[in-house]
Amino acid sequence: MFERKRSLPADGTPAGAVTRKVALVGNPNVGKSVLFNALTGAYVAVSNYPGTSVEVSRGSASFEGGSWEIIDTPGMYSILPITEEERVAREILLTERPDVVLHVLDARNLERMLVMTLQLVEAGLPVILVVNIMDEAERMGLEIDIPLLQEKLGIPVIGAATAKKRGLPEIRKAIASCDAAHHASFGYSRRLEGDIAEIAGLLSGEYTLSGKSLALLLLQRDEEIAALVAGKEGDRAGAIAEKVREKTFERRESFHLDLSLERKGIVKGLLAGVLRTPEKRRVTAGERLSSWAVHPLTGVPLLLAVLYYGLYQFVGVFGAGTLVDFLEGTLFEEYFNPWIIGVVNGIVPWEIIRELIVGEYGIITLGLRYAVGIILPIVATFFLFFSVLEDSGYFPRLALLVDRIFKKFGLTGRAVIPMVLGFGCDTMATMVTRTLETTRERIIATVLLTLAIPCSAQLGVIMALLSQAPGALLVWSVCLLLIFLVVGFLSAKVMPGETPMFYMELPPMRLPQLSNVMTKTYTRMQWYFMEILPLFILASVLLWLGKITNFFDKLVNWMEPVMAFIGLPRDAAVAFIFGFFRRDYGAAGLYDLQTKGLMDPRQLVVAAVTLTLFVPCVAQFLMMKKERGLKSATLIALFVSVVAVGSGWALNRFILFTGIL
Amino acid sequence: MIRCGYCGHEFAEEEGIRSCGKCGKPGGCRMVRCPKCFYENPPEAKAPKTLRKVIDLLKK
Ligand SMILES: [Zn+2]
Repeated sequence: MFERKRSLPADGTPAGAVTRKVALVGNPNVGKSVLFNALTGAYVAVSNYPGTSVEVSRGSASFEGGSWEIIDTPGMYSILPITEEERVAREILLTERPDVVLHVLDARNLERMLVMTLQLVEAGLPVILVVNIMDEAERMGLEIDIPLLQEKLGIPVIGAATAKKRGLPEIRKAIASCDAAHHASFGYSRRLEGDIAEIAGLLSGEYTLSGKSLALLLLQRDEEIAALVAGKEGDRAGAIAEKVREKTFERRESFHLDLSLERKGIVKGLLAGVLRTPEKRRVTAGERLSSWAVHPLTGVPLLLAVLYYGLYQFVGVFGAGTLVDFLEGTLFEEYFNPWIIGVVNGIVPWEIIRELIVGEYGIITLGLRYAVGIILPIVATFFLFFSVLEDSGYFPRLALLVDRIFKKFGLTGRAVIPMVLGFGCDTMATMVTRTLETTRERIIATVLLTLAIPCSAQLGVIMALLSQAPGALLVWSVCLLLIFLVVGFLSAKVMPGETPMFYMELPPMRLPQLSNVMTKTYTRMQWYFMEILPLFILASVLLWLGKITNFFDKLVNWMEPVMAFIGLPRDAAVAFIFGFFRRDYGAAGLYDLQTKGLMDPRQLVVAAVTLTLFVPCVAQFLMMKKERGLKSATLIALFVSVVAVGSGWALNRFILFTGIL
Repeated sequence: MIRCGYCGHEFAEEEGIRSCGKCGKPGGCRMVRCPKCFYENPPEAKAPKTLRKVIDLLKK
């Protein structure tokens, strides 16, 4: 046990009085700890909840003539737990049976957070609601009618600003006079109430939570509650489990969503007349931007603007143009390489070793030059751009926007999450497809990820590469978008099934903070660099081995027909071989070819499209094998390769025929 | 605390889901995934973290 202030006496209570328990519950960051400290004063103990790493603080207090044990539970968002913290918080409510449950919420997010109040009240717990951070809410111009809310909820409701010590005496008074039996009850739709009644009617054990609450948790497939019920009901447990199975099967597609919508509806009703926003509420710039970002009509142009200025101008023109020209063109080619070649040639007498270090595929002349001269400036600008977007809260809006567009093409909405992740790391994203509900969604998502979502580093290099040739970037984007939509649409057709709804809570949009952006960019670059430098060196060594054994030439010769098929010069095979190690390395190879003047814009764009569509790298294939099995993975890889080469061929023909580049 | 770059959820680094080690990157990736939405976030940089610990220590 770790003690912060003074430890409790051995029996946990100050001598003498009968101690009753108060549990503080609520989301993180609503001022729960401040209230806890204000209530408890001197006696506080912090310890891990048995069997977990979650810390729970307990303290004691005496006021209004009574003595109390106050428990500060870990943050929880819902009575249905997801995280270990939530699990512990609920466990405390279930096993310690507090005499008062103090639900603390943030007045600024009343609508969102009242959903949990609803759940607590519905569970029959002795709830007191503390609407905290009232001062900030008032500053925002929100008016909250606390007495009316109290009347509607049927439980004590106190407006407070605990950081300013406002509302503390009222809270103490409410705790002392809490009457658990009195609260309002909320009705769901007739169908849901029917399901609840059928299950609750079968429960006859004695529980801390109400039958209604238990029935809803069972319907949400809460395993802990299922185990609890099975333990208490004895031979009736089988019949209950059967009924739950029957009901969950009937409503398998939409139960969580239905319930969440119904609860939101109830909260809306509760807040009618309670929450008043001033006539002319100041709509902040962030809120306006946020609503623009998710509506298709404004969201798409906004997205295009973000892509144009962020990716094209900043990453492409500035990062890949100006910075790479300086680092690679000037620093490496003009000063560093000639110097290091001279030095190495002077010291090392053996041609073969000289080749390894400073030759065509030398560790320094190729590996280090690629890593520092080409990749570094591009990923630096790319990660900077990425971190700014991330810190502003744009990504979830993008997900919602893209979801709306995707649905029209028969794509699943939830797959947006792994898709967005795919830009970070395809391997990771492939693993996250596991969170999708149906096998159908998982397969479609994996195919699309493998095919058309480049990882961020590769995207950066390709953007950089193509922004050098006007028009090429546009052709590449249109091409990929088209393939993405066609393949998505076809997969959805080939594997018919329902498309579940995608639903996400939006965090507030805000001005990116310089320190956050810098830290994130720096961390990402650091890890990225530590990760790629050894790989680049290894690749240089392998390429050198391939060169001295002539194996590399054979490989290039062998790939020549494929290159010719899609209209690329023989040397482009080198980039594809690089690409098997990592896609960004392959892209860097293309970059090299282009700066040597070996490719025209048509070939560049064909090569970039083919390379983007290819299975990213060895690592992702292995991950696919693990998640989907060898057969599915091989089929997907084969399919993707055929689509990649096929698209390359078609694009080449198309450009030659139309002469657009 | 890490603020998830996707869903905005705030969590301590210890709560996050750690590298799965399956992507074959040397040493695995260092990203910390959000316990709510799985989005991968870069871990807190060393320097600010140490600084915060010192501040916490001074507070006590
Ligand atoms: Zn998250």
